[in-house]
Amino acid sequence: MRLSVRDPHARSAGSRAAVRLFIGRGTPVTLRASQPSFLSPHPPTALLHIVPRTSTLLSLPAFSATLTSRRLAAQSQHRPFSSSTHRPWIWENIAEMAAEPTPEPNSQALRKYLQQSHDKIFESNKKWAEEQKVKNPEFFEKLSKGQEPDYLWIGCSDSRIPAEAITGLGPGEMFIHRNIANLVCNTDLNVMSVVNYAVRHLHVKHIVVCGHYGCGGVKAAMTPQDLGLLNPWLRNIRDVYRLHEQELDAIEGDKKYDRLVELNVLEQCRNVVKTAAVQGSYKKNGFPIVHGWVFGFQDGRLKDLEINFEKMLEDVQKIYNLTE
Amino acid sequence: MSDALDRIVAGNRVYAQRTSEHDPNTFVEMGRGQAPEILWIGCADSRVPETTICHCKPGDIFVHRNIANCVHADDLNVAAVVEYAVAHLKVKKVVICGHTKCGGANASLADADLGVTLNTWLHPVRELRRKHKAELEQLADDDARATRVAELNVQQGIEVVKQHPTVRQAVRDRGLTVHGLIYDIPAGQLRLLDDTRATGGSGLWTPANH
Ligand SMILES: [Zn+2]
Ligand SMILES: [Zn+2]
Repeated sequence: MRLSVRDPHARSAGSRAAVRLFIGRGTPVTLRASQPSFLSPHPPTALLHIVPRTSTLLSLPAFSATLTSRRLAAQSQHRPFSSSTHRPWIWENIAEMAAEPTPEPNSQALRKYLQQSHDKIFESNKKWAEEQKVKNPEFFEKLSKGQEPDYLWIGCSDSRIPAEAITGLGPGEMFIHRNIANLVCNTDLNVMSVVNYAVRHLHVKHIVVCGHYGCGGVKAAMTPQDLGLLNPWLRNIRDVYRLHEQELDAIEGDKKYDRLVELNVLEQCRNVVKTAAVQGSYKKNGFPIVHGWVFGFQDGRLKDLEINFEKMLEDVQKIYNLTE
Repeated sequence: MSDALDRIVAGNRVYAQRTSEHDPNTFVEMGRGQAPEILWIGCADSRVPETTICHCKPGDIFVHRNIANCVHADDLNVAAVVEYAVAHLKVKKVVICGHTKCGGANASLADADLGVTLNTWLHPVRELRRKHKAELEQLADDDARATRVAELNVQQGIEVVKQHPTVRQAVRDRGLTVHGLIYDIPAGQLRLLDDTRATGGSGLWTPANH
């Protein structure tokens, strides 16, 4: 494994810092760091801190392999669910980095290089940690004591929607579950245990179900194709379609998918409301409140579907009342 | 209570504004699709927001988060995420990240009744604890034990992910790799879990000089 760090300050404004990770025999991962102010109003919690074990590392054949932008680009050619594979600045960045000479395996220069790149990330991280302590002396102490998030976020796994970054929250503020197409299935122990823990143990005040326009999961679900393992999971979206068939059939083109995304969020909110944890806590405490939102890529804004929580709860409880 | 909500709505406005100020093309590019290189399977814990702690930006990491970053072989939710990320998005790395001070790992040190849903979800983690009882008893305190359980759970998750048919194929055909990480909350740092079978080590590698 090789690790290299680029100092954001050493480069021109607008360029991105990048961390290259060479792990095992595979192709490297490039983590690009952006200016903290760009990501969120909060500073990053930590620099990536992965340190290679020298003995393991030197024996790996992949270690001396030089990466080319072509090889990486070729590997990402076929991505049927991504409407675009073209993100020019990434390849630019990789091409630029690939031009750097790689020290010979098992060489003295390599050991020095490893030590330097290792030290550098430690130093940056140490510096950052010290800055946090100056700003807020209890920052890490408070975080290590426990979490008291006000929100539970149930969102899509889609890489473009990291909940904390798009809502400007810092570590410790939002409990998060993300799956394909932000589904809340009655028989899914995974999401049900998240809702349970968030409501009964963390006492969250708000539950946000957040979908997004252009959701690949929703599109895939409506594709007439056998998707194997994904069939049973995505079936839930077809069920949402069937529930709202008349309305959706009257809409043409992309607008139809946009509306299906919204209706899917509404149905998943309803599924959250159907749980005993939410019904019981709301009766006793007056929270959590359930919200349905949709994220739009055209402007990066969240759209509130403005569900009337009390009305939804009342409707749901006609049939699904789990309170005593 | 509505203050809490206003806060994230306002936070999103700041995000949208700053992002387009920084690079007006960001959202145009984003609208075209995603091409993440990493699938992250992490804990739902609010203190481990992957994109922030890895100093990444939207579009970089495909994410699944659940209680105690479990990968149960019979869980369709995580299986669908893995399938989508590996078969369709063709990520290059799958990362399973546990963390210190994990509520789920801590709850797995004993058998307290957390309700039937959570009891069932954590059952495999509690089984791990029983299996490694002798080793865990050697450790200083519950904090250390919970961290060790988190590590064991990550290793277990890696074993399950590696058996996923699409992952097996991708490992063979295009060099996909699977890795374990532990995020140390008090230190704010990520550590790479060692491959125990390769090294015979304890699983967690800490740099000697720090
Ligand atoms: Zn999606
Ligand atoms: Zn946890």
